[in-house]
Amino acid sequence: MGTTASQLGKDLLSEYQELTFLTKQEILLAHKRFAELLTKDEKDLPNTRLPMERILTLPELKSNPFRRRICLVFSTSQHKDGSLTFEDFLDLLSAFSDSATMEIKSHYAFRIFDFDDDGTLDYGDLERLVNCLTGETDDTRLTDEEMRQLISNILEESDIDKDGTVNLSEFQHVISRSPDFVSSFKIVL
Amino acid sequence: MEEHNSVNFMRLLSEESTLSALSSDSCEYYQTEIFDQLPSIQASRPEQDRQGLWEACEAHQGGPESGERISHGHLSRGPKDKAFTQPLRSLVMCLQGKRDARYRRKMQISNIDFWESWRRSQSINRKRVWAQMGGALSDLLPWQHTLHTIEGRFGVGVKAYFVFLRYLVYLNLLHCALVWAFILGPTTFYGRSNSSEPLKFGGKDSVLDFFHGSGYLDRSPLFFGFYTRGSLNLLCLNTPLLYLAGMLIILFLSLILVVRRTTVGFKHTWMLGKRYSMYVSYKIFCGWDFTIQDPAAASLKHCFIRNDLKLFLEEESFSVREALRTLGERVRLYLLRFVLNLIVLSLLGGAFYLIYFATITAQKESGHYWLVSLVLQYLPPITITFVNLLLPHMFRKISSFEDYSFTMQVNATLVRSIFLKLASLGIYLFFIFTTEHRQYPFHCRENRFGREMYKLCIFNFLATFCNVFLLNYPRKLLQEKYPSSLLARLLGKQRFLIPFKVLDLVYSQTVSWVGVYYCPLLPLIGAVTLMATFYIQKFTVLRCCVAEQRMFRGSSSSVLFHFMLLLGLLMAATTLGFNLYQLEATPDQNMSSCGPFGNGETVFNVTGVCVNSLPRPAQTTLRYLASEAFALPLILAEILILTSYVSRGRANQKAIERLKDMLVMSSSDKRFLVKQHATMLRRGRKPHRVCSAAIEEDAPPQTLEAPPALQAY
Repeated sequence: MGTTASQLGKDLLSEYQELTFLTKQEILLAHKRFAELLTKDEKDLPNTRLPMERILTLPELKSNPFRRRICLVFSTSQHKDGSLTFEDFLDLLSAFSDSATMEIKSHYAFRIFDFDDDGTLDYGDLERLVNCLTGETDDTRLTDEEMRQLISNILEESDIDKDGTVNLSEFQHVISRSPDFVSSFKIVL
Repeated sequence: MEEHNSVNFMRLLSEESTLSALSSDSCEYYQTEIFDQLPSIQASRPEQDRQGLWEACEAHQGGPESGERISHGHLSRGPKDKAFTQPLRSLVMCLQGKRDARYRRKMQISNIDFWESWRRSQSINRKRVWAQMGGALSDLLPWQHTLHTIEGRFGVGVKAYFVFLRYLVYLNLLHCALVWAFILGPTTFYGRSNSSEPLKFGGKDSVLDFFHGSGYLDRSPLFFGFYTRGSLNLLCLNTPLLYLAGMLIILFLSLILVVRRTTVGFKHTWMLGKRYSMYVSYKIFCGWDFTIQDPAAASLKHCFIRNDLKLFLEEESFSVREALRTLGERVRLYLLRFVLNLIVLSLLGGAFYLIYFATITAQKESGHYWLVSLVLQYLPPITITFVNLLLPHMFRKISSFEDYSFTMQVNATLVRSIFLKLASLGIYLFFIFTTEHRQYPFHCRENRFGREMYKLCIFNFLATFCNVFLLNYPRKLLQEKYPSSLLARLLGKQRFLIPFKVLDLVYSQTVSWVGVYYCPLLPLIGAVTLMATFYIQKFTVLRCCVAEQRMFRGSSSSVLFHFMLLLGLLMAATTLGFNLYQLEATPDQNMSSCGPFGNGETVFNVTGVCVNSLPRPAQTTLRYLASEAFALPLILAEILILTSYVSRGRANQKAIERLKDMLVMSSSDKRFLVKQHATMLRRGRKPHRVCSAAIEEDAPPQTLEAPPALQAY
């Protein structure tokens, strides 16, 4: 099982290498960075959950508009509070690593963009997504009219089965045509 | 009936896609209970939900098999097989899930025979070794860290410029290796002809020669004239042939590499293009660059995206406005565009005349003070660089008056600039050709030509250097020291104009390709100057520039870069071909007495001698390959292959259309059934609220109606 004791065991390390897309150095670095976020008491406990707020202080996530969604998606917590164990953290880094496949990346991207977790990107999801992209404050947002026009354009293009929402396979269809996605869907410590 | 159906179908579609017009009591069809139980939804449902179910199950029944049954219960067909062949790390589940999956797999493996398990573990090991080797190789790539920083602050577009720059450095290093293997190496080992004097710095040589490319350099291995026929003098293995082979291989290899890069990029762009029009979705879904760490960069990125989206919406309304233009407006606009194009043409003409004038003046010089003569020598490169620096900005201004949409403006500027760059170089080459041998009939022509290319290459680099350290950097300093002064505000903030920078690179690479035949060490000079350029531009971008307001997409830009490179290469090949042909056509006028093809030999008779020495079947084969009789079948075969591809593409296109239609149909079926089920459930739950009249009105037509797709077929 996972541990956050100061050293990673050799078996554990090789297991992580097998189960994630990370290299040994990356796993060790991840472990170091994760341990830095822990308080003194927590360091001795195995399987500590880091609360979302502390994860978000990482510079790699701090300026990302989707940071909360990322934590929520990768968290295995029962309370859906976005707290991460070290293994969840590795999952996150693995999905965002250089060598993760398009399949994995697009799957997680879909889940990050699916704000209400209902399995499809509907009008509300797209609206929140666009707001995340343009900035949340009132003066940076698009006007309602612009938003409506934009979303109807998106749906017209990518909603192939015309049910008014973008589902996973339609989403992956779009993503698979965009060469830049793999290079920009990346978080490297 | 038919009409009614189609209407009904359309109504269904429009009702669903407008979305807003849904009453509150019938919730969205994808929020109903039964929707979650559909196999297609189960298959794509986030793993996490299943995960919970799964662990609970395992805990109760105490067996991994049961967990597997549940998790894969609905993915009856493909996914199960796929899940077992996929590497564990590519499964979309959390680490604990993967661990369980591995445990199950191990059970599976213990059931299968020894051979199979060995094979699997071998394949895993092999993949790991490959991955490690790939990782080690990518670590070897230089400037990885720099690129990462630049990407973090300026986004993918600027990074694409630097990646392109690095690619050109590699290309030039490869050329260097080839030049060494085919030209420099043999010359070093086998020596040169006996008549050639040893290379020595002295006499009338001065340091200025390194700028002029004359004197010492004229005799050095830098130029064509150095490589005379040495002791390596077999019929089919001698210095001239090796020289020719080396040059041809360099050009062919560049062609293959550049074409490959262009087509890879082109495929992507084409797929994103009008045909499948994924333009906006692509901007939204792939819009955020997750590599950004700097808060300032993040807010800039927000700004990019916002501007980009607004731009898109604006262009959309622009096309609407364009469609509404009256005839009079249209005529006036076309007249304006015509006049502006005339202005552009006259500017280009003026630029070309200036180059001509500079070439003539430079060739007349004799017996001036050294500084004057240096400037005169460099007059054509100075003119070309100056023209290339100034005119693109004028084109940018001009295109803003033409009332094109924004992207069209950028493209128009770019196309004009490309034309200017390549054409000015071409015109210059043409003037050298036509004026040269009239004035120096018995001088080594190739050396003189190589010298011009050498000067262009050196001056181009000097211009980059000066542009940064004498123009951009002081400007930045001025802005930092006196941000409120009039001059600083007038100059504004500096941006990294990627298209123009790329044009510079393409131009210098084209010069290198044109000149490589006459100046074989040009790739080496190119590699060194490009490396220096990398650091200079890094300094510019990190120190002097603010990120641009407009996004420049990585992929589409790289296609454009490589396409320009391809144009440059074609130009180089044309120049070389023309030059060789001219030598052959008028040998008495152009008799050169230097280099590998001295003493009345030309490219054609050296290869001819070699071919004649071959055995007869090889000779006939070669002659056949070079004849028109071979070209015809080749063209025919190409036409056949192309036709078959085009027709296959059309057939696929039709299949795609039909599949899309089927998808729409089946999804509307699904929606219909889910809704129907939901209403039936609701009716079952609230029997007291049954209003008979409402059912009478509402239900019968709907229940009796078959799903729309069934009726349509």
